[in-house]
Amino acid sequence: MTSNNLSSVNIPFILNKKRPKISLIGCGAIAERYYLPSLSRHPSVLENLILVDHDRKRAQSLATQFKVMNYLVDYREVLEEVDGVIIALPIELHYPISMEFLSRGVHVLCEKPLAESADKARDMIEQAQKTGAFLSVNYFQRLIPSFAKVKQLLADNSFGEPLVIKYFVGELFDWPTVSGYYFKSKTSARGVLRDRGAHVMDHICWWLDGKPNLVSCQNDSFGGSDAVVHVHFEHNCCLGEVKLSLLSKFPCRFIVKCEQGSIEGDVYDYQNVILTSASGRKKRFKLKSGSKFNIGYQIVTNFINVINKNEKPLVSGNDVLDSIQFIDECYEAASRFDMPWYEVLKAGSDG
Amino acid sequence: MDEEEILVTGASGFIGGWIVESLCLNDSANVRAGIRRWSGAARLGRFPIEIVLCDVLDRKQIMKAMQGVNCVIHCATGSSEIIIQGTKNMLNIAQRLGVERFVYISTTEVYGDQSGKIDESFPCQYTGSPYGDSKIEAENLCWKFYKKGLPVTVIRPSIVYGPFSKDWTIRLAQSLQSGNWGIFKGIADGACNLIYISELVSGILLAAHHEDAVGEAFNMVGPEIISWNQYFQRFNTALGLPKLRITSSSRAKLNASMMEPVRSSAKFVLAHFTRPLKKISKKYRVVRKVMRSFEQTIKTSPRLQGLSLYSRNALYLSTKAQNRLGFRPKIDVENGLGLTVKWLNHLMLVDRDTLGS
Repeated sequence: MTSNNLSSVNIPFILNKKRPKISLIGCGAIAERYYLPSLSRHPSVLENLILVDHDRKRAQSLATQFKVMNYLVDYREVLEEVDGVIIALPIELHYPISMEFLSRGVHVLCEKPLAESADKARDMIEQAQKTGAFLSVNYFQRLIPSFAKVKQLLADNSFGEPLVIKYFVGELFDWPTVSGYYFKSKTSARGVLRDRGAHVMDHICWWLDGKPNLVSCQNDSFGGSDAVVHVHFEHNCCLGEVKLSLLSKFPCRFIVKCEQGSIEGDVYDYQNVILTSASGRKKRFKLKSGSKFNIGYQIVTNFINVINKNEKPLVSGNDVLDSIQFIDECYEAASRFDMPWYEVLKAGSDG
Repeated sequence: MDEEEILVTGASGFIGGWIVESLCLNDSANVRAGIRRWSGAARLGRFPIEIVLCDVLDRKQIMKAMQGVNCVIHCATGSSEIIIQGTKNMLNIAQRLGVERFVYISTTEVYGDQSGKIDESFPCQYTGSPYGDSKIEAENLCWKFYKKGLPVTVIRPSIVYGPFSKDWTIRLAQSLQSGNWGIFKGIADGACNLIYISELVSGILLAAHHEDAVGEAFNMVGPEIISWNQYFQRFNTALGLPKLRITSSSRAKLNASMMEPVRSSAKFVLAHFTRPLKKISKKYRVVRKVMRSFEQTIKTSPRLQGLSLYSRNALYLSTKAQNRLGFRPKIDVENGLGLTVKWLNHLMLVDRDTLGS
C-alpha cells in the first residue's frame, strides 16, 4: 500500500523511521483477524515482528499467512529482546505476562479487558509508571465516531445533564475462539459482562466522567460464565440500565436522555447518532466513517508511535480503570435471575 | 450413579443443552458436554461442567471425548451426513470403548405420513424428507450395533417446545407477533403432539438408566394433545397478543405457495451474493431497512411444508414409555407455555421495544 492510499483515509502514520521490535503474544482469533492485518500495513515493523504462541503449529501457520519471519513458543525468550509487546491472550494471562514485560520497561498494548480485577489493573498501571513503560489498551470503541460524539456532546453540556442512560446489547456469541478458553469453567468464572460489558461499561464511565454507583446486578451464572446480565446504576441525577445477552439477538442500541434532549444510536452503526431536541424534533447526525479495521490500524499505529516515545496511548490503562472497578462491583453484588423454567427441571427430576 | 460419566453430543443444541443442564442442576452425574464449535458454548458455559469438542464427523475428537464414559446420549443432528455418518462414528467408537449405554435421540418423523394412533410397533416410513429419512437410517445403524452387543436405546420425541426451541417456540412466537400468522382453518386442525422440553429430558434420563430400555425405541409425547390451531391460539394468548385472524385453507395455501419462489430466490441470492449485499446494505440505510423487513416476512410466514405437517392426523402414543419406564409427563400446554413466555421475555425475544425512546 502506498502512502497516498493511507493519507486518503486519514490514517495515522509512523512518526519517525525507527523500526521498533514488537512481539505479538497469542495467536488466537484476535491476532489473526485484528492485529496481524493492521501490523501487515507496516512492512518495516512486520520485518522485526515475533509471533509467540504455545501452539507452534498455530504460530507457524499465522507467520506463513502474514509473511512474518519469526515465531516462538515461549514468550520468555523475547522478554529482553523487544521494545513492545501486544498481549492477545486469554484474560487470566494479561496480568502475569504484562507485568513481566512492564517490569523490564517494555511497552505493552493489552487486549481488552485489561485485567480480571481492578486490583490487578492498578498493579499494572503502577508497574508501568515505575519503569516508565506505557500501558496501552485495546478499548478501540472509544475511537468510534458515534461513541466519541456522545462523549463530546455530554462534555460540552449540549443537552444539559444526563438523566437516563439505557444501553442494550443482545447478540449470539459467535467469536471463533480457537482455544475455547472463554467457556472453560476452570479459567473463566465471568462472561458477557466482562467481555461485551468491558466496552459498554467503559463507554458509560467515560461518558459520565467517572464510575457510577451500582444499584443492582442480576445474571444467569450457575457457577460458570454469565451469558445474560442486567445492571442498574445511578450517577448524580442520572439513572442507568444495561442489558447484555449472548443468548438472544435484540436491537443493540443506546440512549442518553438529558435535560434538554437525547442522544441515541445503534451500537454497530458507527457513523450515525440521532439527536432529539427538548421539543421532540429528531435529527440524524452523520459522522465521518470509521470501520473497526481502520480503528485497529489506528490503535496499532499509535502503539508503534508510543514505543518511539512520540505519542501517548490513545487509550491507556488508567483511562479504563473505573470501568474495571465497576464491573468488579457488579460481579460482587450479582444475584441470579429468577428462572422458573429451571425450577421445573429440578422438580421434574426429583419426581 | 455417583461415578457415572455421561457424554452428551449436540450439547449446544436445544435438547442436548437441556440434558446437560438437568444433569448439572441435579448433580446426578459427571457430565461431558460435546460441542462442534466453541462459538456455540455460551449457554453451556454458565454451568461448571466439562465442555469438549466432539464433532461427530471427526473420529479423533469422538475418541477423545468418549474416553472413560459409561453412557452416551447422542443428540447431535444436522445434515444427512451428520445424522447418518455421525451416528455411525459414535456407535463404532462407543462399541470399541465398551460404553455401557447408548441413547440415540431420534424423532417421530420416522413414522412418515402415517396417520391414526401410532405406537412403536408401527413401521418406519421413508417419505423423501432428508431429515426423517436420515433419522431412519441412523436408527437402523443403532439396531445393527445393538445386535453386535451395544446396549442401545432409541427415543422418538414428537413436537418439543419450551425455552431454547427455535422451531416451535422462538420462530413461532416471532411469527405470531409479526401478524403474518393466523388460524389456518381446515389445515392446521391436525394433532400437535406437544411435549414440554423438561418432560422429554426426564424421559430420556429415565430411559438412560432403565434396564428394560435396552434394545427398545420409545415415543415420548406430553400429557395433552391439541390441534395446531389450538397451539397457535394458546401461544398467542400467552404472549398477550391481539386475537389471531382466521385464514381459509385456500388462502393459506395460496400465500404459502406464493412465498416459496420468493424464499428460494432469496436463498439463492444470499448464497451467491452475500458480500455485495452486505456492502450495499452497509452503505444505504433504506436498503438495510427493506432487507430487514423482507427477511422478517420470509421468516414469519407459513411454509407449504409446515402446512402439510399441521394437517397430519397422527397421534403418537407414549404408552410403552409409561408402562416400561414409568414416564409420567405432567406439564400441560398452559403451564408449558407460561414458562416459555417467561423465558422469551427474559431474553427479550418478543418484547423488542427496548429503549422506549
